[in-house]
Amino acid sequence: MRPPGARSVDPAQNQRLVRLLGACARRDHGAFAELYAATSPKLFGVAVRILRREDWAEEVLQDCFVSIWNNAGAYSPGLSAPLTWMTSIVRNRCLDWLRRPNPEVVLQRPDDDGDDPLEAIAADGPGPLEQLARAADAQALAACLAKLDAKQRQAIVLAFYDGLSHSELASHMRQPLGTVKTWVRRGLEKLKGCLGGP
Amino acid sequence: MRYHDKPALQDRLAAEYVLGTLRGRARARFQGWLRADAALRRTVAEWEARLGPLAAGVAEVPPPRRVWRAIEARTGTGAAPASRPAPAAGLWESLAFWRGWGLVATGCAAALVAAMALQPPEVVEVPVERIVESTRMQPSYIAILRNKAGEAVFVAYAGRRSDELWVKRIGLEAEPPDHRFELWGLYGKAGAAPRLLGMLPKEDKATIKLAGVADESLRDFPALAITVEPAQGSGGAPTGPVVASGDCFKFW
Repeated sequence: MRPPGARSVDPAQNQRLVRLLGACARRDHGAFAELYAATSPKLFGVAVRILRREDWAEEVLQDCFVSIWNNAGAYSPGLSAPLTWMTSIVRNRCLDWLRRPNPEVVLQRPDDDGDDPLEAIAADGPGPLEQLARAADAQALAACLAKLDAKQRQAIVLAFYDGLSHSELASHMRQPLGTVKTWVRRGLEKLKGCLGGP
Repeated sequence: MRYHDKPALQDRLAAEYVLGTLRGRARARFQGWLRADAALRRTVAEWEARLGPLAAGVAEVPPPRRVWRAIEARTGTGAAPASRPAPAAGLWESLAFWRGWGLVATGCAAALVAAMALQPPEVVEVPVERIVESTRMQPSYIAILRNKAGEAVFVAYAGRRSDELWVKRIGLEAEPPDHRFELWGLYGKAGAAPRLLGMLPKEDKATIKLAGVADESLRDFPALAITVEPAQGSGGAPTGPVVASGDCFKFW
């Protein structure tokens, strides 16, 4: 079965990363360094955006690449594109980091400059969406996102890029929790229908 | 919540897990299901493939050079590759090692092993940041395991009244393909078979759920050891070579 997103990924880059991960599984140090050089700016960008603190993002990135080195043999090219697999590792680690039962996370997750820590996030995330529309390997997803209602798109974009929870979304979008949950759920359903696949 | 017979619910939870809106206990519970359910992992992979390309919208940020240096140090992939001792068979890996710990296949030990095989210890991964709740020293058990070359490669820690053993690999070589590491408690007295504490998660930092609080489950082991075992597990009695061992002591 073909992963639904795989067709939209640049095939040459894809093959290169698959080859590097395979070499990492065979304990090839050079391949690991090449993999890091090729992917760390993107993955660090993902972590910085969600955690909003570079020192935390550095720690997460470090943990993730150690984990990627140790688990490269578990990567299955048939199941997911390599960058997708690595991005998921980083995003999951970030979300687990934010889940820490530690008030410090809430208190110290800094706002960029305003009073409301979430205020600084662009209302409809124009930055990422513009960049997404230019990315050759995400055309299908960008087109499907464009078909969502604005509120659904905004909720999904804020959740993915900025790691906002349902309650953070509700507070940021100034809407009841139930409304926001419905936007997210319906938006995801529509995206699935639009993208096709299983 | 029952989810097995509800494909629509499974799909929705997988989507929200991947998007990141599944949080707190719901997320932890879902991660528990994931570990046990290959079909659910596939559903998650499908959602990762759908939403993953969103990452193309994130601006690249080159990480500082120190991150790579730290990764090199932790994985032993630095410019001067660590000259690891060849994992060849030797006295250290041989049966003699276990004889030293009084491994004798008595009927009693075999029965214990059989009983343990029925209830394999559960492996739970918890963010390591949870350890530090206070700067006060907690009464605890600490083990430092060394490889054949005498290098400390693995540390373990458990609060005496906790059933979570916190483990960290510090230069422990990776598992051979299709194998896993298992952690054993070694009894001080002769004739007692090592006791399986759990499979070692592949993460550098992880926790292993002990059979009981450390004061009960670690007290009898003056030492711990790690062996190489087949991917499906040893079944409760060590079969593979020892890659690290060391003292386990009560601290505070």
